[in-house]
Amino acid sequence: MPATLARAPAAPRDYAACSGCNLCVLVCPMWRSHRDPRFTPEGLAKALQHGATAAQLAAPVEACSLCGACDPVCPEGIDLPGLVMDLRQKLANSLSPRSSPLLDDLCASLQQGVASGVASRSAPLLLPGPDLRADAALLARVQALLGLAIADDDGDDIALALELGVEIPQHRLQQFLASLRGHSIVAADGLLLRQLRRWLPGSQRMGLGAALSSRPAVRSNLLATDLYVIEARAYHGDYERMVAYYDRLQLETGCALNLDLQRIAIPAGAQGLSQKLGATPGDGDAQAKWILKGRRPARIVVESMADRAAFERVCDLPVVHLAELGEDPEMIKRRPHAFG
Amino acid sequence: MAGYYSPLTSTRTLLLKIPPVEPGTVGPCPVAPDALQGIKRQQTNPARWNGAGWQDFVAALRTSSVELAEGAAACGVYATDAGGTAYGLPHGVVLARSAGQISLLLKAAQAHRVPVTVRGGGLTTEGESVAFGGVLLDMSGMSRVLNVDAQALTVRAEAGIYWHALAEELRRENLDYLSAPLNLTSSVGGTLGVGGIDVNSARLGCSADQALSLQVVTPTGEIVECSDGENPELFQRVILGYGQFGIITEATLRVRPYTPLAMHYYYYSSLRTAIEDLQMLDRNDASDYSGILTIMDCAVNLLVAFDSDEREAAFRKNWESRLRGYGEFGFALCMAGHYALRPWKFREALYLLQRKREVFPEFRRPEYMREGKMHDRSVVFSRAVWKHWGSRQMVIPDLATSADKFIEAVERGNAVCRKYFVHYTLYCVGIKLRPDHQPHYEMSCVPPDAEGWAYGCEFEPMIEGGIYSRDHFQSFKNAIYDVGVDMGASYYRFGGMMKGYIRRVFGDALVDRHLAMKRRADPAMILNRDVIF
Ligand SMILES: Cc1cc2nc3c(=O)[nH]c(=O)nc-3n(C[C@H](O)[C@H](O)[C@H](O)COP(=O)(O)OP(=O)(O)OC[C@H]3O[C@@H](n4cnc5c(N)ncnc54)[C@H](O)[C@@H]3O)c2cc1C
Ligand code: SF4
Ligand code: SF4
Repeated sequence: MPATLARAPAAPRDYAACSGCNLCVLVCPMWRSHRDPRFTPEGLAKALQHGATAAQLAAPVEACSLCGACDPVCPEGIDLPGLVMDLRQKLANSLSPRSSPLLDDLCASLQQGVASGVASRSAPLLLPGPDLRADAALLARVQALLGLAIADDDGDDIALALELGVEIPQHRLQQFLASLRGHSIVAADGLLLRQLRRWLPGSQRMGLGAALSSRPAVRSNLLATDLYVIEARAYHGDYERMVAYYDRLQLETGCALNLDLQRIAIPAGAQGLSQKLGATPGDGDAQAKWILKGRRPARIVVESMADRAAFERVCDLPVVHLAELGEDPEMIKRRPHAFG
Repeated sequence: MAGYYSPLTSTRTLLLKIPPVEPGTVGPCPVAPDALQGIKRQQTNPARWNGAGWQDFVAALRTSSVELAEGAAACGVYATDAGGTAYGLPHGVVLARSAGQISLLLKAAQAHRVPVTVRGGGLTTEGESVAFGGVLLDMSGMSRVLNVDAQALTVRAEAGIYWHALAEELRRENLDYLSAPLNLTSSVGGTLGVGGIDVNSARLGCSADQALSLQVVTPTGEIVECSDGENPELFQRVILGYGQFGIITEATLRVRPYTPLAMHYYYYSSLRTAIEDLQMLDRNDASDYSGILTIMDCAVNLLVAFDSDEREAAFRKNWESRLRGYGEFGFALCMAGHYALRPWKFREALYLLQRKREVFPEFRRPEYMREGKMHDRSVVFSRAVWKHWGSRQMVIPDLATSADKFIEAVERGNAVCRKYFVHYTLYCVGIKLRPDHQPHYEMSCVPPDAEGWAYGCEFEPMIEGGIYSRDHFQSFKNAIYDVGVDMGASYYRFGGMMKGYIRRVFGDALVDRHLAMKRRADPAMILNRDVIF
């Protein structure tokens, strides 16, 4: 079980500190698909150093999947995903408003907020996110394994707003954070989790993958012949702790991980904003294919639903969600919750 | 000169008459032509190409469907190299996509006399990969592995690939490259052009020596395959040729099975003793990896590592007892005694402790250690290099000498470092030479008098947030390079701001012979023209 108390992250530096070492390029899925330095975090930082505007950088800013892989490798400590999110916000504010059903729904939800019941103070909460909510059976299994209550307000709209660069109204953000204060949190959305680290420093937070894989009922069913696919955003958002956590998991179970030689998680279902909005066709599966190259696992175990979909598209190996590895939910109900 | 009233001293003082300048205009230079007499001027950036015929050239490229990007967003990325002291912008950038595209680019560049600067990882430190006008050709667009032959132990890759990206692909086949610079992001093509030194170079030679064959686009645009057996003259000039005689577009390299390492560290308080031990190990083929990294010149780390248990056992049996260095604990005791007797040197002791606390854990990260062996050592070393030595300005002059001259070169270089910086690191490795590659080494980083092994030492000041002028850095580099001239050594980093040294080191006859070859191969002198000649 990973230690749950996070240290406050060191203050990130901005693009001016970029030394041009290229280390972020090595891990960036945008670079992998474009082979063009403009489509890299370094390209963004250097272009900004030379006075480029958000509008001039729109293509890479929208192609970024916010996987966070560039964040832990930057020796200068630049908050690169934060840089992309900032640029997205600038773009969203400067361009004529995009209209899509997704954006319209989001704006309505952000204005409206979510009515939440009063969960008992300190009871751990699960923020399942829309993909897991859509699979009721799997959600029930996750809940049983972790013994957590599902948050009434799981911040779906806030996670989406972060991704799209849409400004989050203060009242909505405060409402969401108030519903979480004092609770331990397990979140399925890695981007939201990353942001909660800043918004609620000192709180106990964990990604869904780490929470599930730390349950003995799940962990004991991981096999040395498995390829275990870590959800990239949650991993990179808390890199120092997660690298140690998954290293132990690998040692204990012998399974292969989707880590590269720098111990960065290769994001499987990485999709840029333009792909998410359906503006450009994606080749998100290229990443899943790269993870599988030269590997012959008997089974693929995923932490996220998006990764499951990506692998199901590119191979005919069995792909299972971590929660499906757990024992009978009835038995697990008797165990304490994830933070127990 | 007129007398002026100085409000600061309230006395009449003689000041230079500086005429008032209208806002928005550039006034005349206030420094009289004879004002700096006796002060040594430092060479800085080469002159920017004047742009003659650029538009016609751009039109010609467009007709050939070669894409060229212009403007700040496209060019700004290339304003400097890892050195961060030479700055220049190209007129436009071409992202390499194929040998055919590069051939069209070079043909148009010859016709229109437009300079082309090639950039791989851009990790040069003397501005060699910075374009002072003209076209910058970014090779990183050609960065795919084309074929891995696990039986023959070879790989064919596009030359813009970063060594680390190559390692990622090779590891899926449980293979590894032989040797590469410890920084992850230098490219294969850029490294084959300059050398490439690793901590196994004393055994496996420089990275350039692992190339079996190359696809090269010549300065006039021909696409040619070359190797020791096919077009050997071109092969000899392109390997270690600083991009003067052609652009490497593909390379076939030797590879080897991947192995984790057993690492050992020995600590010395004398540079000389450590270097003697390093050379003793190299001469006797006693280890698979060897190198020296200093924290200070009285705290010297000799690193020794092994690919197999057998080699490690043989070292323990035959060679370890001959080493005069201490283990970590023994050295700590030694240092404690040393500083207890010299309390006024407490700052030095604190620095040592701080460096130890920061850097040592980096080499022992548990996720890279399995059963006492280090995995992915190039990642461990390179990340430590970037984290603890990297910055926006990397000033790393070096000297390469024959084995005999090495100790003197390092000691003299060390004295220069002491004079210019409070803290600095020296990194020393041996480079095994291939007698059959002697022609490759002509006018390269390999010193002409080296036999068997050459030795290289990098002198790297720790900037530590300090602010130094460019002149300070340049004077430091010049002082190191002067040692080289004096000793008949060579350097890893030729080019850019220090090309003035080439003739002093190699003499006019050799340089003129190469210049004549260059003129024949590159009639308009467009390819990487600011680097050597
Ligand atoms: C932090 C740091 C650590 C370093 N560590 C080491 C080390 O351990 N060992 C070591 O040997 N060096 C080291 N170096 C030096 C650096 O790695 C070498 O200069 C490097 O190999 C150059 O590769 P590159 O791809 O960055 O080439 P570039 O800097 O892009 O180019 C080098 C030269 O080759 C030319 N060129 C580039 N690509 C091609 C091509 N495809 N065809 C023809 N010409 C080309 C360029 O015009 C330029 O003149 C280090 C540098 C830094 C900044
Ligand atoms: S967040 Fe991911 S896709 Fe975006 S720049 Fe960083 S590594 Fe590339
Ligand atoms: S890793 Fe950081 S410092 Fe290095 S190139 Fe990328 S942004 Fe710049």
